[in-house]
Amino acid sequence: MALLECRDVTIAFGGVRALSGVDIVAEEGTITGLIGPNGAGKTTMFNCVTGMLDPNSGSISLDGKDLSKLQPYKRARLGIARTFQRLELFTSLSVRDNIRVAGEIRNRWHKGRIDVAAETQRVLDTMRIAHLAERLVSEIPTGMARRVEMGRALMTHPRILLLDEPASGQDEQETVEFGELLVELAATGTGILLVEHDVALVMRVCSHIQVLDFGRIIAGGTPEDIRNNQQVIAAYLGEEKDEESA
Amino acid sequence: MSDFLAYTVLGICLGSIYAIAAAGLIVTYTTSGIFNFAHGAIGMLSAIFYWQMHSSEGGWGIPSLPAALITVLVFAPLVGAFLEIVVMRNLEGTSDITKLVTPVAVLLALNGVATWVWFRDINTPHVPASFYGLDGAKVFGQFVSYHQMIGVVLSVVVAGVLYVLLRKTRLGVTMRATVDDRSLLMLNGGRPARMSLAAWAIGASLAGLAGVLLSPQLGNLTVFALTLLVFDAYPSALAGRLRSVPLAYAGAIAIGLVVNYWQWISEAGTKWVAFKTLSSALPALLLFVVLLLLPQDRLRGTVVTRTREHFRVPTMRQSFLWGGVMIVTVLMLQALMVNSAVITLANGIALGLISISLVLLTGYAGEINLAAYTFAGIATIVAWQFDVGPTGNATQTSLSVGAIVLATLVCAAVGALIALPALRLRGLYLGLATFAFAVVIDVMVIRQAAPIDVNLFGRKFQLNFFTNGSLTVPRPNWFGVDFVKSQRNFLMLMTVLFVLIGIGLVTLRRSAFGRMIVAMRDSPAACATLGLNIIQLKLVVFTLSSAIAGLGGLMWAAQQRNITNQGTFQVFASLTLFMIAVVGGIGYVSGALLAGIFLSVLSVVMPNIFLKLATDYPSLHWLFETGLGNFTKFVGPALVGIGLGKNPSGIANQIMEGFSVLKKAKTGVAIWIGAELVLWFLAWREIIGNWTFTLVTMAGAFLAPRIIVSVWHDQVAADLPDAGIEDDDLVGLSRPFNESDRDRYDAALGLFPVTGGR
Repeated sequence: MALLECRDVTIAFGGVRALSGVDIVAEEGTITGLIGPNGAGKTTMFNCVTGMLDPNSGSISLDGKDLSKLQPYKRARLGIARTFQRLELFTSLSVRDNIRVAGEIRNRWHKGRIDVAAETQRVLDTMRIAHLAERLVSEIPTGMARRVEMGRALMTHPRILLLDEPASGQDEQETVEFGELLVELAATGTGILLVEHDVALVMRVCSHIQVLDFGRIIAGGTPEDIRNNQQVIAAYLGEEKDEESA
Repeated sequence: MSDFLAYTVLGICLGSIYAIAAAGLIVTYTTSGIFNFAHGAIGMLSAIFYWQMHSSEGGWGIPSLPAALITVLVFAPLVGAFLEIVVMRNLEGTSDITKLVTPVAVLLALNGVATWVWFRDINTPHVPASFYGLDGAKVFGQFVSYHQMIGVVLSVVVAGVLYVLLRKTRLGVTMRATVDDRSLLMLNGGRPARMSLAAWAIGASLAGLAGVLLSPQLGNLTVFALTLLVFDAYPSALAGRLRSVPLAYAGAIAIGLVVNYWQWISEAGTKWVAFKTLSSALPALLLFVVLLLLPQDRLRGTVVTRTREHFRVPTMRQSFLWGGVMIVTVLMLQALMVNSAVITLANGIALGLISISLVLLTGYAGEINLAAYTFAGIATIVAWQFDVGPTGNATQTSLSVGAIVLATLVCAAVGALIALPALRLRGLYLGLATFAFAVVIDVMVIRQAAPIDVNLFGRKFQLNFFTNGSLTVPRPNWFGVDFVKSQRNFLMLMTVLFVLIGIGLVTLRRSAFGRMIVAMRDSPAACATLGLNIIQLKLVVFTLSSAIAGLGGLMWAAQQRNITNQGTFQVFASLTLFMIAVVGGIGYVSGALLAGIFLSVLSVVMPNIFLKLATDYPSLHWLFETGLGNFTKFVGPALVGIGLGKNPSGIANQIMEGFSVLKKAKTGVAIWIGAELVLWFLAWREIIGNWTFTLVTMAGAFLAPRIIVSVWHDQVAADLPDAGIEDDDLVGLSRPFNESDRDRYDAALGLFPVTGGR
């Protein structure tokens, strides 16, 4: 049984179909890439999975449990955590407190309490942001802020982590390190669904990739399959259609 | 059947005017993102201006048509445009709280101006006339005045024009884009300032039209009644979620019908007479119904935006230190003060005790309560009923701990009940729910001087809330300490209570619970995805805040001793308190204290000073009493609120920022404190007078920091603000790009109003 299973998910805003019959599956301990051009529906898919949007039809389940009727906070308690394409940080708090408060929230609903202070320090070290710990989160660069968001999500010990463009704002070296971090995390058994525009990163770390375009899955497979898929190339570059029309 | 038809027609006529007012609200909200709380006040001011122009008794006698046209098409739009240019533009980049408080301040200022100019003498009648007097015609066999017909026709025209304007025209799209992203619109060649200006002028014009059409209902105009009359349209605007003109129109007609049907029912049978008073609170009750019916807000990202509010969190050591300083300072000051000054200071701290409830709710959690005084009223009634009762003698009764606990718990429970329907929605809706709650309690409970005989489903009982229109509230008499006769003892009791609550709040803010509250304020979406039940947390915070408001309100009532039900717990008092609390610095305990003292001083001391000057210099009576005295009393507090856009973090923050640079100049600060102690000793020994002490202290507060910075420059230099960027400088940063850097570049690009520099 897949960890996260989305079947035939469809959502429309007015006359615009943002997602149309989308199937996405993410397994435990693997990194699944979800790529596609701007406006393809990737963030909308994340919003549906986390309960911030209600799809018009289709089903979303975690470990076989249907999530459709659950509020976002209840889905989080089942083990879904996420980051946001447009940063959603607690801007009045320091980097350390952004991460710490996530652990404190977890302790409110999870029976197995964690030592929040120790866990916060561990996450700060893991995310390589310990040197920024006492800074206000609104003062740090975007790339580092994305790491804070991810660290905050990790404090809930999620079963599946949805990352929305986590590498944006990070330089080349930081992105390489970040990729290694994702692989290490997946090795601990956490499932990761990765939305990312840095295709090189996606190809390097993901074991399976699905491609969205105009709200539909147009391809799915290993990085090698995707690299050679003509529909994907067309969606990103528009070459195929131009040639056909010519 | 004919009665039903009659009330239906009347309901449609009334609803049509509500629709005009609601449309005005929607125009300003969709184009500026600001809920214009002053909408009712603009309507009120326009109605009075129309009366001034048209009335032949006390006015200028101008015929109704030109008077109405000038009012609606010139006067009201000018008021709207003026407010947009002078006040609302400064709100760019501020939090939702500031965006709500500033229009509240405008409301209070307009009410103050109207009272000052037209209603100083309450005996002068201001009776507005209907268009075409009492003339009219029969519609479906029912007499309808031409005035009412004009209202119906104009409402249809207004709704149609606005719907087309906002949805179908390029101008409408640009107007809506202004609120979505003002900066982006500007960078793409749009003119958001012009759009906002047009929106405020149109919105104000519609408020003015509604005011002129509604005013004849009142008979004799009063500022508050007229303002609240336009407020009755707010639920209909909410029915349209502040965006849909057709839905708001339908909601307005529904409200008009419900109000009129209720009048019909309550007049029909004797057993409903007790509920007749409900009709004036009905629109406010309907607001709750609308809030219950609205679908839950979709959880959406707030997007990390910079707001200009910044609140530092004090350490526990600092809060204990400043708490001690406050107790010692009050103790020393009261030793110098005459009784009247002690009362003023005690009033200030009592008001601070109510304001401090808003620090938790608004400052920490970002939620709104516009009914703080109402909780004070509820706590007072509960404690009085518990300890004194209709047959008791308050002057011989001690305020018991049981009464205080009960009053606090009742306020907590009522707060939870009121907040529940609105917590699913955004903060503004909670603010409006509390505003409506304040109106309902004021009308239904606090103003009920006589016992109400209720006959409900065959059961007869009596409701007795505010016996004979006034209550004498007992004070405590604990541990052999007399708080009843000794105002000074009661002052110290309240001071200690304030310090304890303040330290409690700082402890809470620094705890895991406090971090969760702040996290919820900053990003509800992120909190939900971490597993936090936001509604539950909001409910806990609102309940706790209501309990503190009740406790503080009870102390305030005990400080007053005699409470009347006329205006004491009125919603406008709560609005003033909320506004001043934000101005004081809503994120700080010290801000609540400043707010309380400021209100007490401004409402009592300043008018008294001007009154004394007017008595001493009769030739300048107009300047001192009619002018400055009334201005300070009626308009002063509101003007402070209007300036909030320029300093959204409040006065407490400004003071702390100003004094924080001195922390390294310990010698200078020690000399300053030493000098103050010497001054106090001289005043205590009556070697110098109190005025000398006050004036020298104030001069010291102004000059000492400057002297310290100048003498101990080397010690404080590291903390002085950056000198800024010169014209020809090339700037490189060897540190992370931070908020102040962004502010500077934004100012250079013209994305934020530039308030200084070049």
